[in-house]
Amino acid sequence: MINAVLVFNNNGQPRLTKFYTQLDTQTQQSLIAQIYRLVAQRPASACNFLPLPPLLSQGASSSASGPSDAPTQITYRTYATLSFIMISTSTESPLALIDLIQVFVEALDRMFENVCELDLIFGYETLHAVLGEMIVGGVVVETHIEKIIAGVRAQEGSLGKKKAVQAASTSLGRGALPGLGAWR
Amino acid sequence: MFEKSLYDLIKGLRGHKGGENEYIQSSLRECKAEIKTQDMDKKATALLKLIYLEMFGYDMSWASFHVLEVMSSAKYLQKRVGYLGAVQSFRPDTEVLMLATNLLKKDIVTSSIPNMSLPLITLPHIITPSLAMSLLPELLSRLSHSSPVVRKKTIVCLYRLALVYPEALKLAWPKIKDHLMDDQEDGSVTTAAINVVCELGWRRPHDFLPLAPRLFELLVDSGNNWMAIKIIKLFATLTPLEPRLTRKLLRPLTNIIQTTSAMSLLYECINGIIQGGILDGEENLQERDEVATLCVGKLRGMIVMDSDPNLKYVALLALNRIVATHPTLVSMQQDVIMDCLDDPDVSIRLQALDLAVGMISSDSLQPVVSRLLDQLQQASAPAVELVDTPETFETPPNPTLWPSDYQTEVIHRILDLCSQKNYSEIVDFEWYVAVLVQLVRLLPPSENEDDWAYPKEHEAIPNFRMNTALRIGTEIRNVAVRVKGVRMEATRAAESLMFVDNRSAFFPSGSNIGDGVLGPVAWVVGEYAEYLLSPNRTLLSLIDTSNSSLPARTLSLFLQAIPKVFVQVSQTGQPGDLWNSEMSLLLARVIEFLEALAAHPDLDVQERAIEFLEVLRLAAEALTSDTEEVPFLLASVIPNLFTGLELNPVATSAQRKVVLPDSLRLEEAFSHDLSEIFRKPESSSPHDSKLWEASDFYHIPELSYPNKQTRDLAPVDLQPHASYQNFAGMPVESSNAVQRRMLERRERFKDDPFYIAPSGDSSGPSTPFHEALNTSNGEVLDIDSIPIVDLKLGDEQLRHVDFDRQRSRRPPVSKLVVAGDETFETQNSLTDASMPKGGDNHPTYKRSLLQVDSSSLGNLSLANGPSSPQVPADEGDTEMARAMQEVEEVRLRMQRASERIQLEGIPAEGTLVKKKKKTKRHVSSDRDVDPVVKDPTAPVVGKKKKKKKMQEPEKLSGEN
Repeated sequence: MINAVLVFNNNGQPRLTKFYTQLDTQTQQSLIAQIYRLVAQRPASACNFLPLPPLLSQGASSSASGPSDAPTQITYRTYATLSFIMISTSTESPLALIDLIQVFVEALDRMFENVCELDLIFGYETLHAVLGEMIVGGVVVETHIEKIIAGVRAQEGSLGKKKAVQAASTSLGRGALPGLGAWR
Repeated sequence: MFEKSLYDLIKGLRGHKGGENEYIQSSLRECKAEIKTQDMDKKATALLKLIYLEMFGYDMSWASFHVLEVMSSAKYLQKRVGYLGAVQSFRPDTEVLMLATNLLKKDIVTSSIPNMSLPLITLPHIITPSLAMSLLPELLSRLSHSSPVVRKKTIVCLYRLALVYPEALKLAWPKIKDHLMDDQEDGSVTTAAINVVCELGWRRPHDFLPLAPRLFELLVDSGNNWMAIKIIKLFATLTPLEPRLTRKLLRPLTNIIQTTSAMSLLYECINGIIQGGILDGEENLQERDEVATLCVGKLRGMIVMDSDPNLKYVALLALNRIVATHPTLVSMQQDVIMDCLDDPDVSIRLQALDLAVGMISSDSLQPVVSRLLDQLQQASAPAVELVDTPETFETPPNPTLWPSDYQTEVIHRILDLCSQKNYSEIVDFEWYVAVLVQLVRLLPPSENEDDWAYPKEHEAIPNFRMNTALRIGTEIRNVAVRVKGVRMEATRAAESLMFVDNRSAFFPSGSNIGDGVLGPVAWVVGEYAEYLLSPNRTLLSLIDTSNSSLPARTLSLFLQAIPKVFVQVSQTGQPGDLWNSEMSLLLARVIEFLEALAAHPDLDVQERAIEFLEVLRLAAEALTSDTEEVPFLLASVIPNLFTGLELNPVATSAQRKVVLPDSLRLEEAFSHDLSEIFRKPESSSPHDSKLWEASDFYHIPELSYPNKQTRDLAPVDLQPHASYQNFAGMPVESSNAVQRRMLERRERFKDDPFYIAPSGDSSGPSTPFHEALNTSNGEVLDIDSIPIVDLKLGDEQLRHVDFDRQRSRRPPVSKLVVAGDETFETQNSLTDASMPKGGDNHPTYKRSLLQVDSSSLGNLSLANGPSSPQVPADEGDTEMARAMQEVEEVRLRMQRASERIQLEGIPAEGTLVKKKKKTKRHVSSDRDVDPVVKDPTAPVVGKKKKKKKMQEPEKLSGEN
């Protein structure tokens, strides 16, 4: 299962934190910081898998090859200024998780029309709603973009769009996340 | 009052660059006030702001009650904020949750789908056993909801319920299975069900074997790659239980591997074949081999052909899984794997390293290690310039990034590689010792202070990782103790690390690398002092004043080594006036050093210092007496403190295996009138008498070990060891150069067992070294001036020469004897119980962060049948949980009973009527509510549509 979904920007400021297990705020923050440090070190050409940060590697027994409850893989993708991170156990396929992040970002792109970091900041609730349509309790429930969008629209109508437009009027430089759809 | 919206808050945050914290604090104060108002709009807005700030780490646990308030709002968008607050901020200790039960019940059975989704996606985050028990009936009813969106979310929600309340699965599973079996079911729901089954599958694979035909059908026909991946993952856990599945799966999997264009699916197929053990069986050899070759071929292709680093990474991941069972197949790919060791991507390198550890053999060990060493050297080259500012280390000039923890990791892996199976893969231990010395040099400069924490913690973690420096030191010690054949080399390596003037080269100032290495190294130097090249210089290094700043643990090992080396020094010279004065001088310096430590804050150091101080003071006294002979104290008593029995490696668990004698009474007092004894005036016991006793004790075993040299003048092999004596200015030698030099040396050795010291040019870099030594130390034993070792040989000496001869004649590939850990078996094997927990059977592992505990499901049987065996409680808290559940059950039953009474008053055509009429029950006003599901005893008369829906799954399950 997926244990956590995180989004933060190039400076390590969180934009979305979703932990599918209850964790106290302090630990959440230090975990985010550790993962950010790992992501920040990586060149763009590196693969999308991170080694486990110290906080997670403590309990994980790397020797056990079979599935277990402990999170063992961290998948990330960086789009423009944002990094999307998924922490998961071995029951998730690493390559499929990369695709899942892509679906997430594409869905956001549809919701916000040329999504950028500002949209996610101001469309905070919509961001959570999109994720809620895709992943429930750490299990993927939907990967079909149309259905995800339909689910979110059913919740808030054109609210998300409105916020994005609002944000657009104030933002200085609006650059869409490049590389969307270029991947596969 | 004019309050901020979230939008304003964020704008304000962005507008207060630099003063964010103050701004946030003031915003938090505003929120605190706003959230207490009666105005729900204001409340919800304040909560949303709090949730936003929580993301940055600002605690909002104090607001949990207000979260509940907003959750109960009538407006959807406010409700959504409330639920989001619950997801983001509720923790296991949030108490208000108990108040939420009715609210959640109401929301689960509401008519609006978005409303209903809120509890469904929130419950997994906040669920508790008692909450699960109360909400189970409502959730089960949602499984037959008309909208697939609700059904799929409910299935997943029930899974999370089952994790805390396993009984839920018993009730839910038949329904989930119906959805899974239903051909007409919405694809999303089926996928969600498959995802859940995949999570459950590995806990209780037996329960899911009957699903195999349907899974197979879905795999072949669905065309949904997401689902196919999960099904393959699930099959991987099922095939070990049902060998017949293997045969059935082989063809479709092969088919997918050959045809699919989706790399993720291809990879999971290969992975499934590996993990499912499809490659392992004996029968069908031909077919299996074909598949194995196909898989490995595809993986190789992923590494070689694709420039995509992800594929490279996962291919290595898969190879890592194969290597345990098919080492030969993998080692055929050695060439590409070794290339990955140099990949710019650290993740890929680490995987390749893992793989290298897995498939290493004595042939490939040396090339692999030297490759890694070269890497480390490249990495440390820029690092050397940056030693003073480790912070900037992240941006070395060369393009590849070298985080220092990767270097640490590589060093660990090198040591893992070499030390595995008690050094069985190492052919040439001299090479290994040289590698260790090189590694000390290559240690990354900044080691975390926390790593220096000692055994207590490590014992708890099975595969503990020591501080690298300490580990290298320990390895040198291990080799010295275990491999007698290279003890001399190991000791000399230790010696070279110990020299004070070498330290600045090995251990850059400001780092604490030395602290770790020097401890074990000091022990080696002391214990095997007879092999030292220059005991005098070593001793001076041991008592250098800079040492007193070392950590206490290292220092106490130093203290133990000092008298041992001193004894060695005292035995090398010819007794006489000169010798006497030299020794007195040396002793004075040693005593001075010890005196400084006699007041050390660490008690262990203090005690050892004082003990040796007293002994050596006596020795100094004995020297001042004007006798020609060596004082007995120096000649025999002190040496005998440290000689006698050979120290052998002992297994860590051996101590625990010692059976306590029955006569041992740890509880009993020594004497009842202990205070009386203390009150007596102390009888003055001179130190000497104590010493004599000690010497007797050590003297007796000595007789039974005649070949252990003690009092004879120890012959020192005077061959200088060029390879360990590098200077600060010198570049680190490549491993090849070291090897070459070693070969040369061996060549020289072969011709002349009574080795003649090399002249200036042949000793190469050692010459300036010796000069420096001689000028700085003055009256040190001049090695180069002694042409030939004293040939007046005792038995001892002969043994030594033989040893040297043997060593020089030894062909390079001959294996040295490696001493294993000594341990012993007791009659009753109570030992395993006392072993540190490391076995897979022990679930008492330290739990990982973020981990969802599904172990309770392991005990749950999904087998249908009214009499499911009660699982024996193995832990106290499960019992407690059960008791809680029973109480809750009773409560629930009473609650249901009261509901039933109300229902009976309603006409038979309940739902239809309820649509028009408002009844007392809240939920009954909702269109979709099906009281039938909630209470199976009530008459089943609902709307036609509902009825059909209910019957459909029944019919299908009947077919199965």
